[in-house]
Amino acid sequence: MENQTSNISDDVLLTELSRRIERYKNAVDNLNSMNKQLLELNQKLAESEAMKSHFISNITNEIINPFASILGLSKNITECPDNDVERMKRMAAMINREAFNLDFQFKNIFAAAEIEAGAIQPIVSVVNIDELISSLMDQYTREIERKRLRRVITNLDSQKPLLFRTDGDKLTIVLSNLLCNAINFNRPDRKVEIQYGRNEAGELVVKVIDEGLGISMENQKIIYDRFRRLDNGINSINRGHGLGLSINKAYIDFLEGRLELESKENEGTTFTVTIPESQVESNDYSDEANEVFFGGEEIF
Amino acid sequence: MTRHFLYPSTMFASQQPAEVTTILGSCVAVCLWDKYLGIGGINHYMLPTWNGMELASPKYGNIAIERLIERMMQLGCPKNNLVAKIFGGGEVISVSSSGMHIGERNIMVAEEMLSAKNIPIIGRSTGGNNGRKIIFNTHTGEVLQGYIKSNLSR
Repeated sequence: MENQTSNISDDVLLTELSRRIERYKNAVDNLNSMNKQLLELNQKLAESEAMKSHFISNITNEIINPFASILGLSKNITECPDNDVERMKRMAAMINREAFNLDFQFKNIFAAAEIEAGAIQPIVSVVNIDELISSLMDQYTREIERKRLRRVITNLDSQKPLLFRTDGDKLTIVLSNLLCNAINFNRPDRKVEIQYGRNEAGELVVKVIDEGLGISMENQKIIYDRFRRLDNGINSINRGHGLGLSINKAYIDFLEGRLELESKENEGTTFTVTIPESQVESNDYSDEANEVFFGGEEIF
Repeated sequence: MTRHFLYPSTMFASQQPAEVTTILGSCVAVCLWDKYLGIGGINHYMLPTWNGMELASPKYGNIAIERLIERMMQLGCPKNNLVAKIFGGGEVISVSSSGMHIGERNIMVAEEMLSAKNIPIIGRSTGGNNGRKIIFNTHTGEVLQGYIKSNLSR
C-alpha cells in the first residue's frame, strides 16, 4: 500500500516536473523572442538616427535649392527687357513650379510636426470628392505632361458627384502624397489613374494606380518608416523627403481608415485608401451622451 | 470653461481652465496637474513604446508622457509640483499578437515613467474589461469617470 502511494506520487512528481520544465522552457523562449525584438528595435533606432541626418540633407536640397531658383528667376524677371514678354512668362512659370513644390514640401513637414506634437484635430465637412480629386490631378498637370502620362479619373460610385463627410484637408494631403509618388515612380508614357467610390459598408475607397516599376516585398515593409526613401542615392531622380507615407499612415489612422498596397514588380503599384464616413458632427464638442455614460459617477 | 475632446494620439495642456473629455479602451490617458498653479494637461496613447518606424507621435506611451511633462514645464509648472492620475488600459480587445496584453503594457509604461520622473500617482482607474469615458478638469485636477460597456472605445 505504501509502495503504491509512493509510486503514484513519483508519477505525479514526474508529471509536475516535466510540466515545470516545459513552463521554464516557454519562459526562456519568450525571453529569447523578447530579446530578439529588443535587438531589432535597437537596430531600428540606430537606422532612424541615420535617416534623420539624411532627412536634414534632403531638406536642404528640397528647400534651399528651390528658394535659390525662385530668387534668381524673379531677379531675372525684374531685369528683363520690357518687350520680352515670352521670356518673362517662361520664368514666371518656372517660379510657379518651384513654389508649388515648396508648398507641397512645407505642407508635409507641418503635417508631420503637428502629428508629432499630438496636435491634430479633425476638421470635418461634407466634401465633394469629385471636385477634390479632379483639382488634385489638375495641380499635377505639369508633372503629368512632363512624363507624358495618361491621366484617368474614374468615379465608380452611383452618386455623381460623390459627397462624403470627412476631413477634406487631411484626405487631400494623403491623396497628394500618393499621387505624387504615383507620378514620380511611374515610367514615361504610361498611365496614372485614380478610381473612387463607396464600398458596401458605405466607406470611401480611393485607389491611386501607377504603372511604374513596382515595390518589392522587401521594400513594402519599410515604406511607412519616417524619413525613409527607397532611393537614397545622391543622384536620385526622385525628389521628396521620405515623410509622405508616414504622414499618410498617421492621418489614415486618425480618420480610422486603412491603407493597403498591392504591387507587382515591373507592372505597377496600387495604393488603396479606405475611410469610414466621419461621425464627428462639427468641431464643437457635444456632450449629449453624458447621461448614458454617467450612470455611476465616480470622482477621482 | 473651454471644452476639448481629446482624440487618440493627441495631447492637450492649458493654462486656462478647460474640461477635457476622452474615451479609453486599451489606451491609457495620463493626467498631469500642478496642484499649486491649477494647470493641467492630458495625453491619450494607444501603444506602450515607439517602434522606431512611424512618426514619433504621442500615439506611443513613452513619447506621450515625455512630451506632456515637457509641455507642462513650458507652461510654467515646476516638475516638483506635478501629480498624476492614470486611466484606461482595459482589455477590451483580445490579447495582442505579441503575447502580452496591450492595456497592461500601456499601464506599465505610465507607472514606470512616472516613478522614474518622481511624479506621484495620486489617483487611478486602470485595467478591467470595460472602456472608460473621463472628463478632466485641468484647473481643479478633478476627473469624472464613467464605464462604457460597448465596444465604442479603443
